[in-house]
Amino acid sequence: MGPYLLRRLAAIVPVLAVVVTVVFLLIHLIPGDPVSVMLGPDATLSQIEATRKGLGLDRPIYEQLLGFYARVLRGDLGQSYFLDRPVSRALWERAEPTLVLMLSALLVAVVIGVPSGTIAAAYRGSAWDRGLMLVSLLGVCIPGFWLSLNFIYFFAVRLGWLPAAGYVSVFTDPVGALRYMVLPAFSLGFNQSALIARISRSCMLEVLQQDYIRTARAKGLSHGVVTWVHAFRNALVPVVTVIGITTAVLIGGAVVTEIVFNIPGLGRLIISAILRRDYPVVQGVVLVTATVYVLINLGVDLLYAIIDPRIRYD
Amino acid sequence: MARSVPVRKALVAVVAVLLVAVGAALAADAPRKGGVLRVGNLGEPPALDAHWTTASITETLTNHIYEGLYSLDSTNKPIPMLAEGVTVSKDGLVYTFKLRQGVKFHNGKEMTSEDVVASLARWGKQSVYGKALFAQVADWKALDKYAVEMRLKEKSAIVLISLAVPNNFGAIYPREIVDKFPPEQKVTEYIGTGPFKLAEWKPDQYIRMVRFDDYKSRNEKPNGYGGGKTAYVDEIRWVPVPEVATRVAQVETGELDFADDLNLDAYDRLKNNANARPIVSKPYYWLVAVMNKKEGLMTNQKLRQAWQAAIDIEPIMKNVAGGKAVFYRMDSSLAPVEITAWHTKLTGLPWNEHNKDKAKRLLQESGYKGEPIRFMTTQEYKWMYDFALLTKQQLEDIGFVIDLQVVDWATLVKRRNNSKEYDVFTTGIGAFYDPTHAVFLTSSWPGWTSDEDILKLQGEMARETDPKKRMALWEQQTRQFYEKVPVIRYGDLFGLRAVRNTVKDFNEKSERIRFYNVWLEK
Repeated sequence: MGPYLLRRLAAIVPVLAVVVTVVFLLIHLIPGDPVSVMLGPDATLSQIEATRKGLGLDRPIYEQLLGFYARVLRGDLGQSYFLDRPVSRALWERAEPTLVLMLSALLVAVVIGVPSGTIAAAYRGSAWDRGLMLVSLLGVCIPGFWLSLNFIYFFAVRLGWLPAAGYVSVFTDPVGALRYMVLPAFSLGFNQSALIARISRSCMLEVLQQDYIRTARAKGLSHGVVTWVHAFRNALVPVVTVIGITTAVLIGGAVVTEIVFNIPGLGRLIISAILRRDYPVVQGVVLVTATVYVLINLGVDLLYAIIDPRIRYD
Repeated sequence: MARSVPVRKALVAVVAVLLVAVGAALAADAPRKGGVLRVGNLGEPPALDAHWTTASITETLTNHIYEGLYSLDSTNKPIPMLAEGVTVSKDGLVYTFKLRQGVKFHNGKEMTSEDVVASLARWGKQSVYGKALFAQVADWKALDKYAVEMRLKEKSAIVLISLAVPNNFGAIYPREIVDKFPPEQKVTEYIGTGPFKLAEWKPDQYIRMVRFDDYKSRNEKPNGYGGGKTAYVDEIRWVPVPEVATRVAQVETGELDFADDLNLDAYDRLKNNANARPIVSKPYYWLVAVMNKKEGLMTNQKLRQAWQAAIDIEPIMKNVAGGKAVFYRMDSSLAPVEITAWHTKLTGLPWNEHNKDKAKRLLQESGYKGEPIRFMTTQEYKWMYDFALLTKQQLEDIGFVIDLQVVDWATLVKRRNNSKEYDVFTTGIGAFYDPTHAVFLTSSWPGWTSDEDILKLQGEMARETDPKKRMALWEQQTRQFYEKVPVIRYGDLFGLRAVRNTVKDFNEKSERIRFYNVWLEK
């Protein structure tokens, strides 16, 4: 597995280079520049030119791109135009909220999704099955944005149980952090739980039709033991893939969730950065999320081997 | 005597009850110190350097930290702030400003003339208003520790008003800061003389300002943006909340005490809330279609007049304002009613005529052959998009062909600087405090009004110091505006804010939000 791991890691580099180049070109090719946003609508042309020059934006795009590569190789992501700090520091400050949000949303998605899919499969055709699948159908269909706003309206404004928006760090106030995280985690996790539930159900159904399950049943084992001990582990491989994909999808969903719930994470950061045309920050966030994405994929592949010893990488 | 005892007892009881009642009333009404005021706003300031940007969010924030020599009173006229006053020589060419003594910066240093001279020189190189003023200045120096002299090249009407505008304003920084940050570089150390000082800035999370205990207030009562200022709250916490529905919800739940720039449809919901209420913010903006007069189709004056004659403004405004009359006003004056000094009451102007025959005639006279007119707008500001869309429908009714280009705001702001890329764009014109500050009548702002007659009147107004003559010139300019049509004026649109009932003495009359003199009842 060692050489395989090395090969996979080496393959990441060109992928990231392509991603970063595309993003760099895209953001530079769409019109609009940071200077007009920074100086305000009444800025004069001479002011705009002077500031552009100060930021190096008057240089050709390829020069800016090469400069960016050179800096990244030195481990320097540049200086944000807006935030008065290095991009790496801004990313570091924003990583915690996003990580906390994603992990809690993933927890919600798995805790709801896997058991309900498994139960639905085990009691195929029953009212349980139909009910759970209806809920999961709704879950897939409801836009996260709409769900979030409704959560805020009911649980924060109407009932007053939880704060509407904001973020508290787990390290400063764990209880407060939990209160702030419940609504966003459920908003983000609910959609994903639906997907996980559907996949879990179909994988489980497939496994339950296998010969060894019939054998186990014929031995007189109980329904529960057959479902949870014999079938569950084997149904898990595709589910792990989906959870992996889900994690990646959560990065995208986190953007919307962070905006609605005003969580100062990476999603908020990239949206503001795009609107401000804060190029170094956009590049930085993309670089980091792309890296995470690729690493998640790698992690999923490696997990297969642990769950299912029949899978070998040579 | 036996009878008088109960009487006296009763009297004492009555007096005691009265005292308690009065005391309670006083306690309820008297401003008290303390508390954290949480304000939800739109986003992140590009800088906290008042000289550096015209962004309105920077204006709001920096006006709590810094002060200038002058400020605006409740009628938007200049009144002294850091200056004690000014004397003007007979020929009108020498302004001598006396400074207030004992005013401290947030670093403990006393403000003196060297700080003022250095700061305003920097402002004169970077700010829109500063540049306009310093173009007229021949010499600018300190006379002594508390006096500064400004010599002008020619008579000027805009010295005090330029020093008083709150936007992109002549904030006084300590001299060391000015030396450290040249005009083209934004200040990143924030030291002013204002009632609040910056404590912490965490981008996209909050900006924390705390009371400046050594603040030296003027003795006058609060007046507009100036007069006496007291920081009652311990802290103002400015929280950027990008999603507007979340801002509303947070005022309802009490997570925010104040929220700015809300969608107009939140009005009814806020009106029915027991703990918070809506505030209509005026004057906000008048809607405008800015014509490219440097290049392309709209250089044709007849075509611009046809547009002006064609539009039926009221239904457009009504729609943009979400059908609510409280949010818009039909008025042809270029300055809103709230700027009393410059509001005109002229009649017979060709504004809101919606005269299809006249429009068609003008269209024909212009020689327009149905070429598509590139009309740029953005959905980032819903009102801009709405009024552009409705305008397009109305104009196409009479034979215009409109190519509506919807882009994001950053793109629009970039593109409008290039005369090749558009014919018309939408924006809002905020309050201006002097006719010479009307950007749409200058040749340097996008759309480029380079008409000689317009610029000549602007020049005269910059030199004329007699208020009556200036008003006459302004009325003349307003008529000229409707004839030359550098931009198309629609109606006044207002904004929506929300405030919790625990926030006391907030000045609702001023357009821009200020939180000095505001206190919390909790």
